[in-house]
Amino acid sequence: MALLELFNLSKRYDQHTIALSDINISVNKGEFIAVIGPSGAGKSTLLRCINRMIEPTNGEVTFDGVDLLHVKRKELRRLRTKIGMIFQHYHLVNRLTVIENVLHGRLGYKSSVVGALGIYTKKEKEQAIQLLRMLGLADQMYKRSDKLSGGQKQRVGIARALIQDPKMLLCDEPIASLDPNASKIIMDYLQKISQSLGITVIVNLHQVDVALQYSDRIIGVSQGQIVYDGTPTDITQEQIHQIYGSDFDDLMVEMNKEKHYAG
Amino acid sequence: MDFENIMKRIAPPSNRPVRVKPMNQSAIVIRLTLLSLVILTIIGFFTYDDTDVGMLEGITATFTNFKVMFTEPHFNHFTFMEGLYQVLVTISLALLTTVIGAVISLMLGLLAAKNLSTPKISNSIKNFVAVVRAVPTVLWVLIFAIAAGLGSVAAVIGMTFHSVGYLIKAYSESFEELDDGVIEVLKASGANWWQIVWQAVIPSSMTYIISWTFLRFEINFSVAVAMGAAAGAGGIGYDLFMASSFYLDLRELGTITFYILVFAILLEIVAIRIKRHINIT
Ligand SMILES: Nc1ncnc2c1ncn2[C@@H]1O[C@H](COP(=O)(O)OP(=O)(O)O)[C@@H](O)[C@H]1O
Ligand SMILES: [Mg+2]
Repeated sequence: MALLELFNLSKRYDQHTIALSDINISVNKGEFIAVIGPSGAGKSTLLRCINRMIEPTNGEVTFDGVDLLHVKRKELRRLRTKIGMIFQHYHLVNRLTVIENVLHGRLGYKSSVVGALGIYTKKEKEQAIQLLRMLGLADQMYKRSDKLSGGQKQRVGIARALIQDPKMLLCDEPIASLDPNASKIIMDYLQKISQSLGITVIVNLHQVDVALQYSDRIIGVSQGQIVYDGTPTDITQEQIHQIYGSDFDDLMVEMNKEKHYAG
Repeated sequence: MDFENIMKRIAPPSNRPVRVKPMNQSAIVIRLTLLSLVILTIIGFFTYDDTDVGMLEGITATFTNFKVMFTEPHFNHFTFMEGLYQVLVTISLALLTTVIGAVISLMLGLLAAKNLSTPKISNSIKNFVAVVRAVPTVLWVLIFAIAAGLGSVAAVIGMTFHSVGYLIKAYSESFEELDDGVIEVLKASGANWWQIVWQAVIPSSMTYIISWTFLRFEINFSVAVAMGAAAGAGGIGYDLFMASSFYLDLRELGTITFYILVFAILLEIVAIRIKRHINIT
């Protein structure tokens, strides 16, 4: 059975902005999906509708066999612990240490008081340390998190999501603020997570080349609609052109430039 | 156009002034206001009624008084220890009102912060607090004195009231500075409001909370002195009032000023220390 199913999902912000219309997607466990599309296509809205950070206007979301749009607050909170989120700007609490930020991923499992006081079990702390080791941050553990580089911050973001013990990761442009080197490291980690832990990864990207390189499946979004859903090997130049519309030429120039630097 | 050409164009001096600021309506109003203030000041100087007091005499007399106050202070109506005790009473008044005010403001400040509350609650608290702040502390004390009578109770309530108005604004504005994304991430991971507040909002705003609270403590110290003199709240302010308008004892006035000065400087030093400490960690 599919882990996540979106059925006729729509989101309308106001009279004029229909951010999503009639989205139908079925996602399996362990899939690595790249959502591509021009700025304003509705990629961020799509990700946030999945865990109801934005309330969809219409449609159904089924996650892990549960109808997400009709659950009570408490149940929603429980289901959200099973979905990790990663953002372009990391969103760490700057004044706290790296390991404290990672442990924040456990708050959803705790009662208000225990969580508010920041009381974590020995097992949780050990797990945080292990995750940081795995992500190559063993030396940064007790640093204040604003002392880290962008790539390191994003790895802390990944650790914070993984300590939730998630079934799925939603990543909104995780490499948009990073240089090519750090981007590669992050994408490699996400791929490894999906392959070795069987966690489903849905990642919004605006770099087509990265999407083609890493994903099992590409979903092309344009003006709130899915215009491509298939493997990265099957996608044609025309289809990419269709997804990006008039932005296409800029995109190709950018890709060539990147290749030029890389070579 | 290349760079060299632009540089050359800048070089030759011209006679016409080049305006950098736009000359709009508000600029005109500001200039007219300043101009009328200057005119009023000049008129003021020419219309002083100084028939009974010579300007020079007045100034010398004032300086003589200062000299007596600060070079010949003495103890007459109280001893050194009694004076110390009275300063501590004043400090306690400031401390009490600041601490109670800070606790209340922390809670209401969270509800007043736009990113942690609903627009309706946030706006109503902010508007209410703006009104509270608009009325000076001393006036609040006098208003509460109607119910509680002049004295320490009215002083505590009135000073707390104004502190709350001040600190809610300061706290909620620093809460609002927190990156909205942090709240979004934690919410998306299943954390609830209390957890987000204590694990993200308060740690991020700690520096601001401490410095605003300390600043308010310093304000409350000087207000507490004034309350002792004006509202019968006791402490060194009362001695100040007695020495200046009852005993007319300039030298004791000097002693009291020194007491207040020493403690104000001590507070300042502690404040600097605390700020340095929280900036490091
Ligand atoms: N909070 C909002 N209120 C109103 N319109 C919004 C809001 N968020 C996004 N939109 C609009 O919805 C559309 C999709 O936005 P978004 O999901 O952010 O696209 P993407 O992430 O692909 O750039 C855009 O036209 C955007 O202007
Ligand atoms: Mg976006």
